[in-house]
Amino acid sequence: MTNVIEIGSLTRSFGRTKALDDVTLAVPEGSICGLLGRNGAGKTTIMSIVSGQDRPTSGRVEVFGQSPFENESVLSRISFVRDNQRYPDNYRLHHVLRIAPDFAPNWNEEVAAELVEGFRIPEKTDIKKLSRGQLSSVGIVLGLASRAPLTLLDEPYLGLDVTGRALFHSMLLRDYAAHPRTIVLSTHLIEESEALFDRVVIVDRGRIRVDCERDEVSELAFTITGSTDAVERLSAGHPVLKSHSVAGLKSVTVQGAIADDIRAEARSLGAQMAPASLQEIVAAFGEEPPESPALDIKVKKGARA
Amino acid sequence: MNAIVSTVKLHLNKRAATFAVPLYIAGMVAVISVLISLVFWRSGSLPGTAGWIQGSQSNPGIVYALVGFLVYLGVASVATTFPFALTLGATRRAFVTGALIWDVITSAYIAIIFAVLNAIEMATHHWIAGFYIFDIYVLGAGDYGRLVTIVFLGVLSCLTIGGVFAAAWVRFGARGPQAIGVVIILVILTALIFLVPSAAAIAANFQLWWLAVAAVIAVVLSSVGTWLLLRPAIVR
Repeated sequence: MTNVIEIGSLTRSFGRTKALDDVTLAVPEGSICGLLGRNGAGKTTIMSIVSGQDRPTSGRVEVFGQSPFENESVLSRISFVRDNQRYPDNYRLHHVLRIAPDFAPNWNEEVAAELVEGFRIPEKTDIKKLSRGQLSSVGIVLGLASRAPLTLLDEPYLGLDVTGRALFHSMLLRDYAAHPRTIVLSTHLIEESEALFDRVVIVDRGRIRVDCERDEVSELAFTITGSTDAVERLSAGHPVLKSHSVAGLKSVTVQGAIADDIRAEARSLGAQMAPASLQEIVAAFGEEPPESPALDIKVKKGARA
Repeated sequence: MNAIVSTVKLHLNKRAATFAVPLYIAGMVAVISVLISLVFWRSGSLPGTAGWIQGSQSNPGIVYALVGFLVYLGVASVATTFPFALTLGATRRAFVTGALIWDVITSAYIAIIFAVLNAIEMATHHWIAGFYIFDIYVLGAGDYGRLVTIVFLGVLSCLTIGGVFAAAWVRFGARGPQAIGVVIILVILTALIFLVPSAAAIAANFQLWWLAVAAVIAVVLSSVGTWLLLRPAIVR
């Protein structure tokens, strides 16, 4: 399968701060990739570099087989709407809808109109005066109606109400089915979005921690809950991503798949085990201290170019 | 080329700001100038007399009123439009080229508008009542060649200077425009230190085309500066 995005040993530093540290990543054509991680993990920086809005300090970035920076033929095939997207002074919705088709060859008026109506975006209010959710709606209109072969959506849900989020999901899936493209979506609403993804990438402290197909997520980590003694005994020797204790009880998130021997031992000790949800895995990687022994990057089959 | 055309369209997207607001401002200044003239009329000055004409033609209100707006327009054309242009998929090269083309279009439009309004003013014997709005010394005192050149280069200078200040802000934050301001002040002071002893001779030999050359230099430096500042700029 062709990769639309190929990133190799990418580092991006801002002064002494490393926003991205030796990132290697590939996103196959036609996939919907969830880019997950805490605030400041490096998600927006990855998208920014992929869309040619920023340049790496070192490393290689190729989109559609070419460097995206100042590359007109590549940029015309990318749509990247930021979570804090800025618009020109005194812009209203009609300004956006009038100019966007000039830059997006695949722009679809019907999709734009349906989203504008569904989100109830005010047409006579300056975009700067829109609520956070309405502002996100404008970004979603730009992102989906452009039908760009590579669509990058950075926290598209911010402030969006539950009806709006449902509309976004249904429109995304419907339009993706009719016009397949590669979508990278960053979000903190993991449980709501999980079903959209066929790939998952977890970023923390500028490093790729997980890069796998969604079906493989259940093998990434598991939780053990029970008495402190039992949990410590069961988790001994395993990379613990997250730990939480309260009143003699303990819960840990352990990296890896549940082995049969541990499952049997847990049963005998009265502890409960279950595969960690994607949200628990993202939260666990986000809580992990920098000096943690469980720092191995989990890369599953087919994830790298 | 398509990206440049699209970027010019992006700059022209706010049609009211480009085409209508300069007209509003010119109209407002005209009304204020007429009211001021009426004050002088009521105080005893008579339209058509040498003193009236001298005083009216010395009023550069129309220029002062537009300069602030035009510099703002130049700032806005880069500061808030650049991030959106990148989102739409414009290259930095196309953005800067498109912005310069838009600057030229806007300057030409305002120059033509001023020439037309000046023609109406002259044809109506200064709006029938002897009011001087466009037929003023600073705009060439009725000379169309001078008026068009002055307005075109003046507007272009305001827009591109505003653009380079905005580009410095996009690139370096608040420190960018401050640094440009400091450099400009240092250059002006250094030039004055060297030229003040010859000020009388310079004034005696002053030629209007010197200002045109200065405007062209300002436009070229601002445009090159905008490109150099925006090429490595990132949006965060």
